[in-house]
Amino acid sequence: MSEAAVGVATRWAGGVCPFDAGWKKVMMWVFIITDGLLFAGFLAAYGYARLMSGVWPDQTEVFSLPFIAAMTFVLITSSATMATAVWASETGQTASARRYVTFTLVGGLTFLGMQAYEWTHFIGEGARLASNPWGDPLFAAYFFLLTGFHGSHVLTGLIVLTKTVLGLSTGKTPVANVEMAGLYWHFVDLVWVFIFTFFYLI
Amino acid sequence: MATQPMQTTIRFYWITWTILLVLTVLMLLIDQSPLPRLLFVLVMLVAMLVKASIIAANFMHMRFERIALAWMVVIGLLINGAILFGLIVPDALRAVTSEAW
Repeated sequence: MSEAAVGVATRWAGGVCPFDAGWKKVMMWVFIITDGLLFAGFLAAYGYARLMSGVWPDQTEVFSLPFIAAMTFVLITSSATMATAVWASETGQTASARRYVTFTLVGGLTFLGMQAYEWTHFIGEGARLASNPWGDPLFAAYFFLLTGFHGSHVLTGLIVLTKTVLGLSTGKTPVANVEMAGLYWHFVDLVWVFIFTFFYLI
Repeated sequence: MATQPMQTTIRFYWITWTILLVLTVLMLLIDQSPLPRLLFVLVMLVAMLVKASIIAANFMHMRFERIALAWMVVIGLLINGAILFGLIVPDALRAVTSEAW
């Protein structure tokens, strides 16, 4: 092997434990990159549509910003409880890990409930995929696209978390899997940071 | 599977949580302030990226991983994302400022 190749091999430190992180974690990160690019594509398309549109509605008049802030609070808190759950499982405190994953689950359910309320309210005010009372028809379309895809990720996360709680109860979930569930959940939180900024604030 | 010794405490995550909340509140406050549009957007983008980095570094343990793994994510996501926006935004601006518009 050439010196350069040895250098690469050292960085990879491969086998079943690439990057010294474990193949599960590396594959989770690869998934996060690809899934993140999906949202990057949506957000870029949204940015394009919005710049092209001469009249984009003022979000603060359409949405209740305190309500969106509360949703953000719930999601960030659920991320913190999940980080605590991962920490607890890695330090061998399975009962505590199960409790914190349950807290996360409750947080996720609350977030999804709030989103359902927001959607109901928005649709009740006349928002449709192809039209809305505030002007540019793409405004509501991108609202449904961005929050809908994010919400579906939250729902997936809830399924993963439920499986994790059940697995922790029966002892079938290894420590590494709690960490993977955690990575996914933090990613959902991460995407919300971008949607919150791009769609609601800017 | 590599089992790394735990480098964190429970406090670490809740301090991170506090920082994220403070940043979110700051963003909401800035949203109420009468900043010029361009400056406002720039401040928001910086705050957003700071928040995202904190989540990735502390909650997702990126700060404890090998730097090569971090580069994989940064190049894969941030640079691709930047290219995506960089190619699209100028075109949209051209449309806005063109005569036809």
